[in-house]
Amino acid sequence: MIKGTCWVASDYVMAYDIITSEYWTSPIDPKENSKWVMAGVKDEFNHKNAFKDKGYTFIVAAHNFAGGGKSIEHVITGLMGSGIQAVFATSFARLQFRNAINYGLPFVTSSDINKGCETGDELAYNPENGIIKNITKGISFQSVPAAPFVAEVSKAGGLMNFVREKIAKGEPIE
Amino acid sequence: MGMTITEKIMACNSGRDHVVPGELVWTDVHTVMTMDFLGKQCFDKFESLGKKEVFDKNKVICVSDHLVPPPNQKFANMLNEWREVVKKHNITNFYDLGRQGIAHQIMVEQGHVLPGNISIGTDSHANTYGAVGSMGNAIGVTDAAIAMATGKAWFRVPETVKFNITGKWQPWVMAKDLSLHIMGMMHWNGHLLYKSLEFTGPAIKSLSMAGRMTLCNMTVDLGAKNGIIAPDAVTERYLRNRTTDPWEMINSDEDAKYDQVYNVDISDLGPTVAMPGKLDDTVPVEKLIGTKFNKAFVGTCTNGRLEDFAMMAEIMKGKQVHRDVNMILVPASQTVYLEALRAGHIETLIEAGAAIDTPSCASCAGIHTGVAGDGDVVLSAGNRNMTGRMGSRKAAIYLTSPAVVAASSITGEVTDPRTFDK
Repeated sequence: MIKGTCWVASDYVMAYDIITSEYWTSPIDPKENSKWVMAGVKDEFNHKNAFKDKGYTFIVAAHNFAGGGKSIEHVITGLMGSGIQAVFATSFARLQFRNAINYGLPFVTSSDINKGCETGDELAYNPENGIIKNITKGISFQSVPAAPFVAEVSKAGGLMNFVREKIAKGEPIE
Repeated sequence: MGMTITEKIMACNSGRDHVVPGELVWTDVHTVMTMDFLGKQCFDKFESLGKKEVFDKNKVICVSDHLVPPPNQKFANMLNEWREVVKKHNITNFYDLGRQGIAHQIMVEQGHVLPGNISIGTDSHANTYGAVGSMGNAIGVTDAAIAMATGKAWFRVPETVKFNITGKWQPWVMAKDLSLHIMGMMHWNGHLLYKSLEFTGPAIKSLSMAGRMTLCNMTVDLGAKNGIIAPDAVTERYLRNRTTDPWEMINSDEDAKYDQVYNVDISDLGPTVAMPGKLDDTVPVEKLIGTKFNKAFVGTCTNGRLEDFAMMAEIMKGKQVHRDVNMILVPASQTVYLEALRAGHIETLIEAGAAIDTPSCASCAGIHTGVAGDGDVVLSAGNRNMTGRMGSRKAAIYLTSPAVVAASSITGEVTDPRTFDK
């Protein structure tokens, strides 16, 4: 069970705005990338550590979260570095959905999540049954449970660890 | 039950007879591409996996495209580190400054992607490879590092959506107009997320390889996993002198199952423009006639090919770029540059007052040359127009075809290439 407060995206959020172009050439590093994460989404996040300092645990978003077509992993490490432990949305853009799986950051699809949460609400997420509780409002949402592979990668602490272990043990990757 | 071309590719590259959408598979990859600003991190991650040598030094393709030539010391230093790591791993196919091009152009033009195979790259427009019937897929640095070590990548088998394109192409109408038209029709926010898009029909058969690349290239911007065109005589001709590797004609089965089928008749399709900020906010060029702009840009993995330069040269021959417009043209590779030079297009375009930039991603990514400043209005034949894409967040970017950019650059306002000199 993960508990914490959420930030609700007011409109659908693009990868471009989560990490703006001046930071694409930064090293992929949670600490580094979290300094300017969300800088292009809202003016209030456009200064150093602004998003991180809010201390949110979750993001609640609508369609096509992290869309606009950037495959850079800075988006995911930036969110993770700022303390985000899961993102709930009605749909995700594929490139960042894939990166999130590879990093073990739950990108959780829930069809009506965007209609029942406000920024600052306290949520609790149970990865086992996929239930997202809004403790502040006293309502619950069902989400799509993670596929077994995704859960396995997440348990290993990301795809790098997952593959590294297999290589070390001489196990086939299949 | 039959399979679509993408399902067949995923099945045969994962050692299966059959796959169905939703299934998760580890497949072999034919080639892995990475480029200058992410490549060093790919190799670092690869090394952290405990492997000394890449799975095949001929199949890891390294390209310098986003940072070359370096405009500042930061990029120069990054390039030096990149060169060092590529050299250390003894990579055969390194397209560095002098032999460079935009990675996706290089991958197709140099025969590194083939029908029936899966190729991946650390840049979102890797979907371009579908032009030759390859499953081209954009991935992150993690996937690239793992593929470098193992020759494999994981995929969820996507549902396929078929676009059956019929009708005859009108003069001055390009594949880009079809891309933008489909963008407007399908929207950006969901209908095609994760899907494989298959383009078929008579209007695709008659499309050049350059046009096929444009069409597949922009499928990533529709949210799709890949875009693909089954190989045919055009593909065979194109690949003949580019590869000695074997490949097979592969196509969807007649009884393949599609998630959706869309029929698009292009007989009435005219030049199309996407309004600043959103790719799916598209309008026919007629709606914008007279709109002023001050920067014109043609290049990128979407529209920097010989055909695009030929089209612009035809429109701009003997004319002059409007005095209020700066026009930057960037061939997609050194090969394209040389071909356009030999064909006389570069001469024509320079005489018209256009500036030619060294092959690279240039203005498109907004981090290199020719960036947009505050208040700029850009008419671009690139692939993205969201806020800040080409530099300033206070610039507006209209996206369209090279033909529209060429005709409009002469008049200084958005112009229909079908009628501009009549």
